[in-house]
Amino acid sequence: MQHLEVIAPTGMQLVEQRSASPRLPTLDGRTVGEVWNGVFRGDETFPVLRAELLRRYPGLRIVPYTEFPFFPGDDRPHAQQAAAREIAATARAKGCDALISGNGA
Amino acid sequence: MRPAVEAEKLGLPTVTIATSGFTVLARTLARASGIDGLRIAEYPGPMGIDTPATVREKIGARVVDAVIEGLLREAPGSAPAARAGAPSDIVLRGDADEIAREFAEREWTDGLPIVPPTMARVERFLAYTGLAPDAQIGILPAANLRAVPLNVAANAVMAGCRPEHMPLLVAAVEALADEHCNLYNIGSTSALVPFLVVNGPVVRDLGIEFGGQLISRGPNPAIGRALGLMVRNLAGFRPARNYMGTFGYPLPFVLAEDPSTNPWPSFHVEQGFEEGDSAVTVGVTNNWGPSSEPSATLDMSAAEVALELLCREIPKKFRLYDFPTIGPKAETVMVTLVLSPPVAKLLADAGYDKRAIREHVHEHARMPLREFEWITHHTFPRGVTVRQRAQAGVLPPEFMGAPDDRVRLLKGPEVVHVVVCGDPNRNRLMSFEGGHTVPTTRRIVLPPDWSARLAAARR
Repeated sequence: MQHLEVIAPTGMQLVEQRSASPRLPTLDGRTVGEVWNGVFRGDETFPVLRAELLRRYPGLRIVPYTEFPFFPGDDRPHAQQAAAREIAATARAKGCDALISGNGA
Repeated sequence: MRPAVEAEKLGLPTVTIATSGFTVLARTLARASGIDGLRIAEYPGPMGIDTPATVREKIGARVVDAVIEGLLREAPGSAPAARAGAPSDIVLRGDADEIAREFAEREWTDGLPIVPPTMARVERFLAYTGLAPDAQIGILPAANLRAVPLNVAANAVMAGCRPEHMPLLVAAVEALADEHCNLYNIGSTSALVPFLVVNGPVVRDLGIEFGGQLISRGPNPAIGRALGLMVRNLAGFRPARNYMGTFGYPLPFVLAEDPSTNPWPSFHVEQGFEEGDSAVTVGVTNNWGPSSEPSATLDMSAAEVALELLCREIPKKFRLYDFPTIGPKAETVMVTLVLSPPVAKLLADAGYDKRAIREHVHEHARMPLREFEWITHHTFPRGVTVRQRAQAGVLPPEFMGAPDDRVRLLKGPEVVHVVVCGDPNRNRLMSFEGGHTVPTTRRIVLPPDWSARLAAARR
């Protein structure tokens, strides 16, 4: 068969990558925030998760999802990014050391 | 996932809870936003069908451990999935079979045979644009990859397009890259298939079918396939990774209008273009068909039946329930009404223009509140009922009505779009619904010597 040389059909990567933030040494004495996007039963899963985390780490403080801005279904890119940034800033303002985000499917 | 990405950028460690099969999606989207190695806690299986007891058991037994590990244990970073290098780089050498096999291995194809994108073939396509081969056409979500004429042409070659299709495909990529189009969320499990609507003189120039069986004839299938390959390779949507349609996807397709069979201004004229402009619109749909056949009866005109059929079909489209479920902050939805020329003519003869059709459908596509509450409660619970949202003022008062009251399903007439095409001898209509994406139109810029090139291409 004929020998061919081809180029790739894929787009070129533009976004600079950075690694995720360093993890915590322990959850004892730390504050963790919850973010719920309003779907996939977060109102059921977060209370269960919260109780179990507090059982294992009595010194842990949890800021429940009800204290964060609602992350709505508005799917316009600028709206989603603005909402996500507001949530991250809220986590900082409320003294969170970490964040749990759910639920994705 | 998005709040987690923004929190990571602020230096906060995060864990995102996602169900099985969606961990790759979350990591892929995070990488596209600049965070490599997002930590995921996997909830096993589809959460929606689990009993409350099972949800508690899975969270307690599985998810909590993953959350703790994700917050405490460092994870090694992973290499970015997209390639580096120049778009003109030769990435593979071999015979056609070897290239086809390797392209399939790299998930660069849709599973069908391809034409190998050699530079000689690609250059024939590039000759139909006035752009430099590596000029940026756009940045395509969700992977935020850069599209240039070279990689657009490579996909077009692979799909079996002809070089003269290139201006149309470049315009389609511009539309895909537009933030207004919002390609970002089409990985939905509901399976959103992109499609094109082509308008203007280019339809006849390229022999694009606008009549009977149009999506299956002429160059329409190859152009539709190129659209699908570009969504895969330029936007980065890969089945089972971040393109998560539960049952997969039919091939993208191409519709086209022609003034000779359309009693109204063409689709692209409604988007602000002139009738003599050539333009292409990108849309998405969850489905294809069914196609009803309105008929005149003693008690109703065929036009009345056509409108009634459209209004009866729309309540069956679950994606459209998002607005009345959530309210103003709902996901975007779109409805495309596809009318065959005889149906369009009978509606026009009855005094309806496209605006009147849109308003009629918005007003009359309704279903009983009782039924709406049952379906939304049992298929996509959101923690707050429709009635509660209405009581809170998020939804219109009609959603607080009696169970048998018929409520409107569409946010407004503006989400309804009308396209006239198909068999000029059949009185059929169909409608399809899509979400997240807004139909986006771009002018097709033709080279100055377009007529001469077309003539040469036909010889």
